[in-house]
Amino acid sequence: MTDSPGPANSPDDEDGQAIPYSGAPGPDRDVPLRPVPPGAPGAPPPATASPRPEPPRPERRRRRRPTLHPGHHRTALERRFARLGWMFATPALLVVLAVTLFPIVFSVAMSLSNVQVSSGGFRLSGLTTDNYAMLLGSERWRQALLFTVLYTVGTVLAELVLGTLVALVLERLSAGRGWMMALLLLPWAMITVVSAQLWAYMYNGVYGVLTSVVEGVTGSAPQFLGTPGPAVVSMAVADIWKTTPFVAIIVLAGLMMLPREVTEAARVDGAGPWTAFWRVRLPLLRPALTIAVLFRILQAFGIFDLPFVLTGGGPGNATESLALLGWQVMFTNLDFGPGAAVAASTAGLVLVGCLVFLRAFKSRVGDEEAGA
Amino acid sequence: MTTAATDTKATGATGREPWGARAGRLLRAVLSWPNAAALAVAAFVAAPLYWMAATSLKPPEEIGTHPPTAWPENATWANYRDAFTDNHFGTYLLNSVLVSVIATLLVLSLSAFAGYALARLPLRGKAPIMVSLLMISLFPTIALAAPLFLLMRDMGWLNSYQGLILVYTALNVPFAIWILRNFFQSIPKEMEEVAWVDGASPLRTVLSVILPQATPGVFTAAIFTFTACWTEFLIALTLNTADRYRTMPVGLALFGSQFTVPYGTIFAAATVSVLPIALLVLIFRRAVVSGLTAGAVKG
Repeated sequence: MTDSPGPANSPDDEDGQAIPYSGAPGPDRDVPLRPVPPGAPGAPPPATASPRPEPPRPERRRRRRPTLHPGHHRTALERRFARLGWMFATPALLVVLAVTLFPIVFSVAMSLSNVQVSSGGFRLSGLTTDNYAMLLGSERWRQALLFTVLYTVGTVLAELVLGTLVALVLERLSAGRGWMMALLLLPWAMITVVSAQLWAYMYNGVYGVLTSVVEGVTGSAPQFLGTPGPAVVSMAVADIWKTTPFVAIIVLAGLMMLPREVTEAARVDGAGPWTAFWRVRLPLLRPALTIAVLFRILQAFGIFDLPFVLTGGGPGNATESLALLGWQVMFTNLDFGPGAAVAASTAGLVLVGCLVFLRAFKSRVGDEEAGA
Repeated sequence: MTTAATDTKATGATGREPWGARAGRLLRAVLSWPNAAALAVAAFVAAPLYWMAATSLKPPEEIGTHPPTAWPENATWANYRDAFTDNHFGTYLLNSVLVSVIATLLVLSLSAFAGYALARLPLRGKAPIMVSLLMISLFPTIALAAPLFLLMRDMGWLNSYQGLILVYTALNVPFAIWILRNFFQSIPKEMEEVAWVDGASPLRTVLSVILPQATPGVFTAAIFTFTACWTEFLIALTLNTADRYRTMPVGLALFGSQFTVPYGTIFAAATVSVLPIALLVLIFRRAVVSGLTAGAVKG
């Protein structure tokens, strides 16, 4: 929202223009990416620095933009276009509203009331916090929360580091980058259940290929999924295999859009490749990394398929995620009240994470609105 | 590295060099460290995929051997026959195709217009709408499972195609709107202005002026939606448990019992389920990459 399409923005604008066209000689040149929004690459600080210096003016400017003939019939035309816009947007928004927003609200309502299951259906009655009290007192929920948080932090960190390394390798690749991209996209596009079955088979204690490989090296057969600690790590490895490529591709795209002049200037100034990366390129990559991390955190926090197939949440409850716990409480035990509390609190935690991260790139959404 | 690249290119173009020199050059290119590292990454990514395909060709006795055989020694199509004739993976596959294709078409038609409106027309509250859409598209589906189950039960749409299609459409419209809007914004405005001036109706403008310009965006949105529907598990498991309406992920997850997991059959079906996605990704990898980066660039 710092945008201000006024003079304050023009230097940023120049940066933005320079970026996508000068530094992208790779196979993705023709990818129709728009210029990076002003202020995106290196200038996040103003976002928080001046949140609302003069709210009314950008507002007015913004609304004026889409007018086709500035100066003539502005309001009438504008009203007609706005009506048209709502006509175009309403069907999609209604479907989304009905199938996602309404259930979310219903879920919260369910978690706050007594749910009676009978043959005739469900009855919600009264307003109660019992379901949440039950949650907080439950050892199993705390265990699931701990597992989910640790798992999310661990896998996302590992994927971020590995993904960046892979992207740096691919950037220097002299040939076959397109084929590497296609190969990397395969695990990402695979059905998670398939990859879970695949890893379950490879981890199998009797005839798993990884079991015999490790046995051949160390001399003793490992227990991949049978004991809590290794089970968590094994699951994380399966996850890392599937999603590191996703992070790598986002980071690679970010790398290829960096202006080459920046790196060259750093080299001329005497920075080694290491310094150039840490001090110059990594900060410029921050927007790309932020998005990759946001996507990954939200996905990892809702993880369900992998533990469902790979471990069933076991051994014990060692790999039971919040989503798996909620699903089992609702659909195996048919305890819809507490189950809804698990689901709603998971969603709430995700929402908090989401808002924290949106803060980091909110300014860019604002910029784009004004600059559109 | 750069010299290696140009050299290979030159040789490829002329193709007259002696075989030995070409092989040596190739070897040197492979041995440069980024290429070696990339090969290692490729091996790590490809190894489990190879293992899946190899296992699907092994007869049951060979699948259970203790040091597993690296290569199917008695390769057979028996697992494929087993999966698609004796078991119901054919049905699951058809269900997946049906649900994913229809949902993708619905998503595209809904979000093309919404994306256009949000890109170009003067709506109030665009920024909050876009941010809400992004958040909805990333919301954990577990929060929707119970209410959707109850809703579909009341409508009699449990174990049906239309229930799953409706949910998949709604879950994927938000991200498709994001992708399409970004593409629409990159189209020069003059195009529509000409259409308006020529008296084209709004509907016609979108269909015959805007959409053709945004074909890459439409492809990207289509692939993303299709992949999301193809791989979705939680909602399908909640709504469609009857054998006849199971999609591929649900069929694969619930196949076998606690004590015997017939991996040969599972991987035969799994390999077939990977093929359409693999083809899509290979053919349209540029669109997929640009879709991934649309998020990264635009936020």
